[in-house]
Amino acid sequence: MQMRKVYNWQLGRKAAYVYPLGRPKKQWAIIFDLNKCISCQTCSLACKTTWTSGRGQEYMFWNNVATKPYGGYPQGWDMGMLSKLGLQEWDGNKYIGKTLFEAAAKNEKILQHVADDKDWSHPNLGEDEVAAAIERGDWIRIPHRAWMFYLPRTCGHCTYPACLGACPRKAIYKREEDGIVLIDQSRCRGYRECVRSCPYKKSMFNVETRISEKCIGCYPKIEQGEMTQCTTNCIGKIRLNGFVSTPDNARKDNPIDYLIHERKLALSLYPQFGLETNIYYIPPVHAPVAYLEQMFGPGAGAAVQTYRSIRDDQTLKGLMVLFGSMEKVLHGFKVDNSFAYGYDEKGNEVVKVPVTEPMYIRDFYDKKLNVYRHNTP
Amino acid sequence: MVLKKIICVWMFLFLATGVASAEGKKKIFAEFVSYHKSVDAAKVGLNDDIWKSIPSSRLPLQRQFLVFPKPMDVGVKEMSVQSFNDGKYITFRLSWKDSTQNTGPKLMDFSDGAALQFPVNKKPLPEYFMGEEKRPVHILHWKAWRSRDKQEGFQTVKSAYPNMTVDMYNFDYKVKGVGTEKTQAEKDIFTPGKAAGNPLSFDHKEIIEELNSEGAGTLKSKNIENTSGDAEWKDGQWTVIFRRPLTVSDPLSARFVAGEKMPVAFSVWEGERRESAGRKAVSPAWAEVKVE
Repeated sequence: MQMRKVYNWQLGRKAAYVYPLGRPKKQWAIIFDLNKCISCQTCSLACKTTWTSGRGQEYMFWNNVATKPYGGYPQGWDMGMLSKLGLQEWDGNKYIGKTLFEAAAKNEKILQHVADDKDWSHPNLGEDEVAAAIERGDWIRIPHRAWMFYLPRTCGHCTYPACLGACPRKAIYKREEDGIVLIDQSRCRGYRECVRSCPYKKSMFNVETRISEKCIGCYPKIEQGEMTQCTTNCIGKIRLNGFVSTPDNARKDNPIDYLIHERKLALSLYPQFGLETNIYYIPPVHAPVAYLEQMFGPGAGAAVQTYRSIRDDQTLKGLMVLFGSMEKVLHGFKVDNSFAYGYDEKGNEVVKVPVTEPMYIRDFYDKKLNVYRHNTP
Repeated sequence: MVLKKIICVWMFLFLATGVASAEGKKKIFAEFVSYHKSVDAAKVGLNDDIWKSIPSSRLPLQRQFLVFPKPMDVGVKEMSVQSFNDGKYITFRLSWKDSTQNTGPKLMDFSDGAALQFPVNKKPLPEYFMGEEKRPVHILHWKAWRSRDKQEGFQTVKSAYPNMTVDMYNFDYKVKGVGTEKTQAEKDIFTPGKAAGNPLSFDHKEIIEELNSEGAGTLKSKNIENTSGDAEWKDGQWTVIFRRPLTVSDPLSARFVAGEKMPVAFSVWEGERRESAGRKAVSPAWAEVKVE
């Protein structure tokens, strides 16, 4: 197929896409700190009870959490895609391999891995499975020998969405105001080209309505200046939802830009697919860097190093405590010696959090109440 | 330089013949007759005796080759068509071999199907594949899913996955007298296709859907005007009949006139191969049906 060439900053080069460049005014994004996710599935349930509690949506998790390396929803979504794409190369920070659009057969728009019914039927198969057997006398070192980590995922509301490019009748659109990708429920005819084509498998077919659905990026909340349900309900405070700029327009005081572009701590998921997806991950420090590079690109090793030095980095430390500290989308932030501050679009302060929580040490024996106390941190 | 000129001339000839052969493709690839019979064409059954007296035309089908994605191969490569009319209604009876019946929706289960396409206006004749802008085509689309819906009731997630267990749907939660009961409209909010009024999400009386198209990707469902159909799968073969009035009031519908030829094109989907949308078998060009 005759493809357009569009600039993909995650690959450091122009890449093939079905349509010409059409970046939105703002681009929705979520950053996930994988070091803090405990797979409690509160995000999955927050999403499910808000958006997918209807008939035909029983199996749908627009937000899900799986255990890597073996888990996946649908099962094998990433392994299936990677094995079809085959071995590809990065040259430094430039991707010289083929993206899914570039690897498409000449009669297709995109290389596809199609998930079967059975792949969708176990949303958390492989939970807590580690990558190796635990041997007698094993002990924990970093990175772990027998490792695993949790991978929470939503739709990435990609800059170059495969679902949108694949839809034969333009029933999928990307909103100019926030970059959120939606399936027009009145226009969709249930062909499932989006379901086949999304490599992240976040377009899903509803048997009851016979058309496809996907994560809507909580656009009614975004329109109110609030973060998504999966973000605000995260009890581990691992998420930050906001707007990401292109590298040339990045603002140091935008918390999302700062983590992605300035510090390169948050990396996109499988950038080699070529969709410029907008869910970004702070990689887990205890997993092998080679695996993290396959999943998050060549910056994974440096990101792990940066994360391990956060304790000596007041700005990053401050920014990390802003995660999960408020419902409002932060367009700006500032960190001083004691506090981290978050600002809305107009520059009004919406949150102020101590960088280090104050600690109070109480006497072991309280004379006034005549009780003994343990200081449990 | 001379060589360049020769190459240019050669290229021109090559292009000219290419265009000519593309023009050739626009021509009619097959003709068949819709016989005039004094049998009620609006009510004729799938296996009524009348069909034994009507010659059948075997027509080739090929992979859809104009719009991406283009299937490399298709499940159905030949079909038969018969037709007759009674002066008021016209009926088409299609049959083709398909060893698998695909009649129910699942996440990655696709429906068997067939469609007839006619131009809304014969002159100028629209592009044979899905019509073109301002030159609409009228499509009659049968889906095996709808046939089963009609027989067994609208298939739901429960019929697709009978062993599924669900704790509770929150819109079904009710305690009498405390305002927790929901109206159907309130419940439908939880079924987005229904809430958006998508025609695919509702049960229909008829197994045939009528649509207009002005080019690939512009398909639009419209109201049925006395069109009906029947379908049967037996011994590895689908037989489907489409019945409709020769003329209806809707200006975007095909009009059949006795004594005239009507262009027609066909599509067949093999659900087992996950064929849907442009992944389908199509006729190589317009065919023509002579209405007696």
